[in-house]
Amino acid sequence: MRRLVASARPTLTALVCVAALFVSPAARAYEPATTHAGLTERAVEASRLHNVLARLGRPLGVLEPLRIGPDLFDQDERRALQTRLDALDPAGGYRPGPDGVAGAGHWVVAGAVLGKTPPERGANHFLDPASGKGLHDSPGLSGVAHSLRLFFDGGTSVRGLATGTAFTLEGKSALDWIGSPSNDLSVPVFFDNWERAVSLAEPRARELALVRALLALGGVMAVLEDAGQPAYVRNDFRVAFLQGNDGSAYEQFVAEHYGHTGLPPAAAPVSRPDIASFFASADGKGLANRTQRGFFSEGTIPSDVSLDRDSKVTDVVRRARESLAFPSPTLSRLVLRPAQQRRYLVVEGHRVLAYENRGTQVHFFLDDAVYADMARTLLPEIAGYAAGLLNHLLRASLEMTVAENKVTVRLGGEVKEGGALHVFAEDGSGRRRELPEAAATLAPGAEIVLDLPAGAKKLAAVLRGRDAGGPFVAAGEVTLP
Amino acid sequence: MISESVKSARSESRSRLITAALLAASVSSCGPVVENAPFSARPDTLRPGDLLGPYDGLVVDGETDRPLAGAVVAGAWAFERGIGLQGPAAAFEAVAETGADGRYRLSIPAELPRGEGIRLRRFTLIVYRRGYVAWRSDSSFPTGEPRHDFAQRANRVRLEKWQSSMSHYRHLVFLGGGPALRTAAAWEVQPAGLELDGASPAIASKNLAENPRAGSSVALDISPLLSEDEVRGVTGYAGKFEVGKLADRVTNDVYDSRHFKASDKPETYDVGLRVWAIGSEAAEAQYRKLLSDLPGAVATEEMGDASLRARGGDVTGFAFLLREKGVVMQLSCGLAQCSEPSMILRLAKLAEGHLPEVKLPSAESTGLLPLSAPSLAPGGRP
Repeated sequence: MRRLVASARPTLTALVCVAALFVSPAARAYEPATTHAGLTERAVEASRLHNVLARLGRPLGVLEPLRIGPDLFDQDERRALQTRLDALDPAGGYRPGPDGVAGAGHWVVAGAVLGKTPPERGANHFLDPASGKGLHDSPGLSGVAHSLRLFFDGGTSVRGLATGTAFTLEGKSALDWIGSPSNDLSVPVFFDNWERAVSLAEPRARELALVRALLALGGVMAVLEDAGQPAYVRNDFRVAFLQGNDGSAYEQFVAEHYGHTGLPPAAAPVSRPDIASFFASADGKGLANRTQRGFFSEGTIPSDVSLDRDSKVTDVVRRARESLAFPSPTLSRLVLRPAQQRRYLVVEGHRVLAYENRGTQVHFFLDDAVYADMARTLLPEIAGYAAGLLNHLLRASLEMTVAENKVTVRLGGEVKEGGALHVFAEDGSGRRRELPEAAATLAPGAEIVLDLPAGAKKLAAVLRGRDAGGPFVAAGEVTLP
Repeated sequence: MISESVKSARSESRSRLITAALLAASVSSCGPVVENAPFSARPDTLRPGDLLGPYDGLVVDGETDRPLAGAVVAGAWAFERGIGLQGPAAAFEAVAETGADGRYRLSIPAELPRGEGIRLRRFTLIVYRRGYVAWRSDSSFPTGEPRHDFAQRANRVRLEKWQSSMSHYRHLVFLGGGPALRTAAAWEVQPAGLELDGASPAIASKNLAENPRAGSSVALDISPLLSEDEVRGVTGYAGKFEVGKLADRVTNDVYDSRHFKASDKPETYDVGLRVWAIGSEAAEAQYRKLLSDLPGAVATEEMGDASLRARGGDVTGFAFLLREKGVVMQLSCGLAQCSEPSMILRLAKLAEGHLPEVKLPSAESTGLLPLSAPSLAPGGRP
């Protein structure tokens, strides 16, 4: 049985603590520390990140140790980030050490977990692919009750509770959130820091920028990963997360059966035309489209249908369909005889809904068999989408080669437009300075040839552009003879 | 004049504020809620364990059932908070190393996060020893399937031997853990990197065996630190030295040695120098290890951030820590060579003076377990 560690002070404190014990749920929901961490690890492994980093002077790729120098931070920013990093579970392997060092891949995974640290950030991970809306559930009494529970849980303040500014079942849509200025793990933060990881003068500042870019990558991946959770794409917070105080039963199932290390490998990385279409698109191939279309969440299953002596199966099917909030998945037929027997609705080879004729009603529900099929189907796909998004964000590259005292810079990768190129010379101490004479506009497949600058040990280049696939940053490095 | 109704409203507002403040103060004083442990208190009972701990057990070789010394045992307590949407709130890690009897013990954390609805959600035990497959209390390698044989007390950890067909990259991902485990498993980064570059696990392991420095950017070379002439200048020794490496450990990315073997003389004329460049945290641990394990070791404050002197038989030792550089140096000198206590200190100062000439690796590119068994032997002589 859950218990409360004794508080030193009796009376009011003890009473409030006991009250908090009852309003706090048994924490058995989707765990950023396990499921998101594991999915992100699988996605990183399946993506091109390792090779991209290795080409950018990080020979160990995703295993390259990277450090955040605390002296390089603004004090408030450092404190805010450090508090969140300190909360990460050391058992996951992605929490940086006291020296601020973690592997490049670990920083991405840490970013995915920080995406839901503090947990209220998760309210911005919802997306209805049809409407483009985020979590929108008129608060009413449930909202007030939830705010009160959050207060006891420390997720809101007395002031927030009093003024109504506390989380009341509303949030930005996932697509708005990954571009939001109030999100420190957004797509713009990734691109800004990916560019700074090449262009900044001091090596430690470049290293810090790279860490920030990797954290932002993880944060964006975590938002996409939640598009593979039915509750997040069916606007289902109230039932999926709050009913029974146990959080999402599906996410609980995934956490308990797969943990952090037991998640299946990623499916092949998905290719999509732009960032948004990894989430939702008119062609229905976004992850949110696929998840919403293929699976029920706890709060969006058919309502139970009452039975009488004259009830026909077709009537039961019709009434169940009428109660559905989303057009798909839907019910075409049910088997109701014999009664008291659990049966399943099977779509595309997997069980998506359990039901049972209980004599006076047909009861619909999700059970472990449904969760098992859902997880087996969705988890590899989610990691495949996340790997694909990672590849998309890293789709541009600058290929730099040295021959006969000349350096050739060519814009490669999968981009259709060019951008402004900046080239930097690095000296023996690792300090970089821009070569203004080398600045140019470079088109895809085009190249420029530069003389080797005297005394330089390395040349680095960065190009920022935008094409139909969205913004991109291409980077390259070469060691000089 | 203030009306009665305004007074009443103000008074009500004040009392609400006081109540809210008291409530907030009370909530922030609550201890954490401790979730149900998914493991038993002991292997021979169904009674659930206590997530808080303490934890103890025995680490044995999976084939021989013999206790394993030197295994790194890390326990992590993870606290969460949130309603419906949940996330990390705080975490602690405790690390131990098994002794000759293979036993470990981790106490309940001295300080627990308080208030604000914090719940102790998980405890994870991780055990690692080079040459064996890592052991986690929540899952097993390589399948990642949930583990059901962990117990809070009297736990038995059977470590299986590492197979060359296993993936180092997957092993590192599975291992997780904090700095101590990362340092202990740092040698696996090289073959793991090769696997990611496309090599099979067997080839990556073979490469590592043939070339322990493969994949590293810097090989530690301490030859600039001390020369034969400098030794002679300090000790007045007129004979010759055969200069080589000490034989007790292989040179690696973060460790190197120098052995001044006195030609045609007994070991009491030898001088040895060992250097670990392993980052500040690991260096601190290595220094503490030397202080606790070298014969007759006593702390002195003669050099660096900390220093010690040791004495075993006819050999005297001196070691010091350079915390910021993440370096530990250990000198050993036979008493026939270092006939006065000041001599070994002067040798150490000479070596420290040459340190800027040595290219030190980054802390994370470690290639061996820094917490190695200390030795005072100046040479690799039988």
